[in-house]
Amino acid sequence: MTTTDVRRVAVPPRHRDRRTLALAAVVVTGLLVVHVIAWRTTEMSFATLVGGADGMAGFLSEAVPPDLSPEVLGPSLEGALVTLWIGLLGTTLSVPFALLGALAAARGTAPGPVTYQVARGLLSFLRAVPDVVFALVFVTAVGLGPFPGVLALLLHNVGVMGKLWAETIEDADPGPPTALRSAGAGRLQVATHALLPSVTPQLVGLLLYRFDVNVRSSLVLGLVGAGGIGFLINQSIQLFRFDEMATHLLVVLVLIVAVDRLSALVRRHLGSDA
Amino acid sequence: MSALLRVRGARVRYGDREVLHGVDVDVAAGELLAVLGANGSGKSTLLRAAAGLTPCDGDVLVGDRPRGRLDVALVFQRIHLVARRSVLDNVCAGALGRLPLRSSLVPALFPRAVREEAMGCLERVGLAERAHDRAGSLSGGQQQRVAVARALCQRARVLLADEPVSALDPAAAEQVLGLLAELAHTERLAVLAVLHQPELAARHADRVLGLRAGTVALDGPPGTDVRALYPDRAPEPPTAAAPAAARLPENVP
Repeated sequence: MTTTDVRRVAVPPRHRDRRTLALAAVVVTGLLVVHVIAWRTTEMSFATLVGGADGMAGFLSEAVPPDLSPEVLGPSLEGALVTLWIGLLGTTLSVPFALLGALAAARGTAPGPVTYQVARGLLSFLRAVPDVVFALVFVTAVGLGPFPGVLALLLHNVGVMGKLWAETIEDADPGPPTALRSAGAGRLQVATHALLPSVTPQLVGLLLYRFDVNVRSSLVLGLVGAGGIGFLINQSIQLFRFDEMATHLLVVLVLIVAVDRLSALVRRHLGSDA
Repeated sequence: MSALLRVRGARVRYGDREVLHGVDVDVAAGELLAVLGANGSGKSTLLRAAAGLTPCDGDVLVGDRPRGRLDVALVFQRIHLVARRSVLDNVCAGALGRLPLRSSLVPALFPRAVREEAMGCLERVGLAERAHDRAGSLSGGQQQRVAVARALCQRARVLLADEPVSALDPAAAEQVLGLLAELAHTERLAVLAVLHQPELAARHADRVLGLRAGTVALDGPPGTDVRALYPDRAPEPPTAAAPAAARLPENVP
């Protein structure tokens, strides 16, 4: 019998549970309602947007062409580098703390339920406080400049990366840990010899992703006084030098794309290497 | 021959259901015991109970003493190597239970003696030349041999293998089971292997234990007719006379 001879069989009607349909209707209605509330609360208005077109056109006419003179481009590139260094240090300095937090907040590696809950709580707190809030606190404490930016990113990143890493460790293949436990290995030995090496590509991938995010975040931190090119953008806006601001934004674009490409390249290499 | 591994009256319950009903098993040093039986007969439960991975009523003795933490080494069906680590590091991991943390936290800290012992174990399974390769780059059969080397590095006198060849092709299965039999004989290990292939048991085991519904249904030499263990299918009875070499494909890797 060839494939063309296969007998056709009527598809039986799909049974749809009335409760499932009712639940879907409730969920869709609920989503519509919250979006209407959000729309009204945030004063969304197309009319206002259209009315502001003139202002936007004025802004663009002042911003284009960007001021690419060395007096602007030089400090802009320097600022971009500072932003990059803030993102880099904020990421790498958080690694040991995030790793400890992840091991304490992952089932299977946590020393006990109390440590697990405390670690989870601490990571949640650090994650819940936005880095820009940390930056405002540190700018108040240690003054303007890149240093408070690094501190802010470090704290927030410990929370985010610790959580992501903890979940990755929990999702690791339980086979190798079981094998090592059966050979008499202790909790820490199991972590360093079975769990962590099994998930290294994922951990490094998340680290690079966070580096990518942190470089972009450090730009925002600059707006609140934590140094870098964000600080220059803020200055340009306050001085109504939109052509300078456009230059800074172009430099930012190049920086972000470069970091994103580099991060993606390394992650792809790690993926193929796994 | 006195038994090295003795399981006495092993009873295992999963909830309200008793799946192992007071099983006794002896495995002597230098003996490969193949445990056969249909799915759900209690083979793996017996092995897990003997290994201490499943709570059981009854006694598990190694020599004259209750089984200690490091007395029993395990070989798993799914092998469970760390694919990204080197073959040598995986074998060294078998020694973790007897190493202090300061000399075992990361592979770089392993003492030279442990590395050399691991190399000896790898040589024993014929994979010394692959020591620095990634474990994940090896074939399934080679990985299982590395897992056997890891078990050897544990220095346990009892080796429990849970369906060690179920995931392997026939040639690799022959080689791994042949290796387990050879190690049992030359290293004087007591090897208990849970198998799904009566013909492999017939060729490589020194004795066959059959489980049915959580009880021992047969205990005999490798040529024993095991069809009664498989009520839903009637496999050809294995013959003890069939020499392993006659069935081995040529150029086994």
